[in-house]
Amino acid sequence: MIKAHQISYKHKEFHILDGVDVSLDYGEFLAIVGPNGAGKSSLLSVLANEVKSKQKIVFKDKNLNDWEVRELSKHKAKFSQHNSNDITLEVKDVVMMGRYPYFDAQPRQEDIDATNDRMHETEVFHLKDREYNTLSGGEKQRVHLSRVMVQLENEITHKLVFLDEPLNNLDVKHQYKALEIIKNFTKNTNSAIVVLHDLNLAAQFADKILLMKSGRVAAYGTPEEVFTAENISEAYNFPCTICEHPITNNPMIIFG
Amino acid sequence: MLVILAIVALYIGVYDFNGVSPFTVLGQFIKGDPNLALSDKYVIWDVRASRIIMAILVGSMLAVSGTTLQGLFKNPLATGEAIGLTSGATLLAAIAIVLGGHFKQYLPEMVQFSLVGISAFVGALLAMMLVYRISTSAGKTNVVMMLLSGVAITSIGFSITGFLIYISKDEQLRDLTFWNMGSLAGATWTKNIVLTVVLIISYTILLPKGKALNAMMLGEKDAQHLGINVERLKKQIVIITSLMVGTCVAFSGTIGFVGLIVPYILRLLFKSNYVFILPLSAVLGSILLLIADTFSRSIVAPSELPIGILTSLIGGPIFIAILIKFKKSL
Repeated sequence: MIKAHQISYKHKEFHILDGVDVSLDYGEFLAIVGPNGAGKSSLLSVLANEVKSKQKIVFKDKNLNDWEVRELSKHKAKFSQHNSNDITLEVKDVVMMGRYPYFDAQPRQEDIDATNDRMHETEVFHLKDREYNTLSGGEKQRVHLSRVMVQLENEITHKLVFLDEPLNNLDVKHQYKALEIIKNFTKNTNSAIVVLHDLNLAAQFADKILLMKSGRVAAYGTPEEVFTAENISEAYNFPCTICEHPITNNPMIIFG
Repeated sequence: MLVILAIVALYIGVYDFNGVSPFTVLGQFIKGDPNLALSDKYVIWDVRASRIIMAILVGSMLAVSGTTLQGLFKNPLATGEAIGLTSGATLLAAIAIVLGGHFKQYLPEMVQFSLVGISAFVGALLAMMLVYRISTSAGKTNVVMMLLSGVAITSIGFSITGFLIYISKDEQLRDLTFWNMGSLAGATWTKNIVLTVVLIISYTILLPKGKALNAMMLGEKDAQHLGINVERLKKQIVIITSLMVGTCVAFSGTIGFVGLIVPYILRLLFKSNYVFILPLSAVLGSILLLIADTFSRSIVAPSELPIGILTSLIGGPIFIAILIKFKKSL
C-alpha cells in the first residue's frame, strides 16, 4: 500500500523525524500513538505528501511525487488536525468539497446522494443547512469526517485515508462512531493511518500500532506486542499497568 | 437585467437627437441608413454605445478580480485598491505616460498605445507579488500585513505619481489627472476590443475556479488533498488578476471599490460559495458600473462627475461595514 523508508524531517536543525520506517498492507488500520511532540503529525504530513521529504515514499507501487494531483485525491484523503474555523459556507457545501475531484461545474445526483449518506452516518444531516461557522467543535469535526470519507467513495480498490486526531472534541458515542466508520472503511481492503491519543481505543480498533517517541519508532506491531507496560511507561515517562479488557480481550492500559 | 440597463443607459444622455429615440438612430446606424446625420451617428455609436460596452467590460473585470483576490487571500477585504494593486498599475502607467512622452516621436503609435497598458499590467503584477510575499507565509495570510503593505505601496505610488504630476508637461498632466480620477469617457471601440480579448482569456481560466477557491477556505494543504493544484492556482490568480486590473487601469484609470462592493453584495445572498459568486460577480460588476457611469454622466449634466467618486462613495461605507463585522472574528 504505502512504503516509506528512513524518513527524516528537520526543521531548523531540529530533528522532528529521524529515520522512521513505515509500511502498510491492504486492509490495515494503523494507529500512530505517542506523547506530545513525538512527531506523529509530522510523520502523517510526510506520508500524505504535504511536506516534501528527500526520501522516496511509494504509494501503490508508484512514487508519491509522480502521481497526478487530481488522480491521487481519489486514492487517498486526509483529515487534518487543525481545521479552518472561518468557512462561511453551509455544512452541505463543506461536505460537498469531498466530491470536487468527481464533477466539473455542478454536482451530479450521485454526488448529492453520497454526501447525504455520509452526513447521516456522522449524524450531521440535520445541520446541513446551517452555516459551518456556527457549529460546535465536535460538530465541525464530524462535518470534516464526512467530507474526507465521501472523497474516497468510488470504485477504486485499495484506498488510503490519513486521519490526524479525528476524535478531538468528540463525545464518547461519536468517538466510537468515528472509529467504526474508519474500521468499516478498512474492511474493504482499504487502509487507514490514524493518529490517536486514547491508547485503549487504539488497542480496540487498530490492527497495527506505531508507538513513537522523539521522532523515532519506539515500538511497532500488533496491539498486544506494542502495549506492554515497559513500552508504554518508557515512551510516556509515566507508570502504567496493562490488563486484559474483560469483554474484547484486547490489552487495556491503566495509567497511574 | 443587464440588457435592460444597457438600453436605459443608451437613452440617457446630454445630446438631443431632435426628438428621435436613440434606438431609431441606432437602428438606422446598424442598417447603414444614408440619411443619418454624421453627428447623430458619432454620438450613438462612438460615444454612447462604446462607453456602455466599456462600462460593462471594465465593471465585470474589476468585480471578478476582486472576488478572486478575496478567494486567494481568504478575506473579504482583499481588493485591488486595498492591497495596492491599483496603485502599482497607476504608478507604472503614469511613468509610461511621462517618460513615454519624451520618446513619443521615435515610437510607432501602436507601441505607445500598448506601452501604457503593459506598464499598468507589470505594475499590478509587481505590487501583487510584493504584497503576497509580505503578507503570506506557510499558506496563511496575515490580514493586517496584507492591508498595511497595501497602504505602503499606495503611498509610494501616490508620492511618485505626485512627483510625476509636478514635473510633467500640460498635455501629460491631463492624462495623469485622468488616471487618478477614473473615467470611462475615453471609451473607443479599439479599447473595447482589447478589453474583450483580455476578458475572454481571463474568464476562460478564472471562472471555472469556483470549486478551487471554496476548497482554499479549508487551507492550502487540504485543498491539495482535494486534488487541487494549489501552486498552479495561485500563480494563475496572481497573473490573471494583475492582467485584468492592469488593463482596466490603463483604459479607465482608477475606478475604486467595484471589486469590494460586488462580492460583498453577493456574499449576503450566497455566503462565500465561490461556485456562485465568481460567475455572478462578472454580471453584477457590469450592472453596478453601468448604473454608476450612467449616473455620473447625467447627474450634473451637461458636465460629468468622475465615476471613481461615485464608486468610492458606495465602497467606503461597505469597507467599514466589513471591518466592523470582521472585528468580532479577529
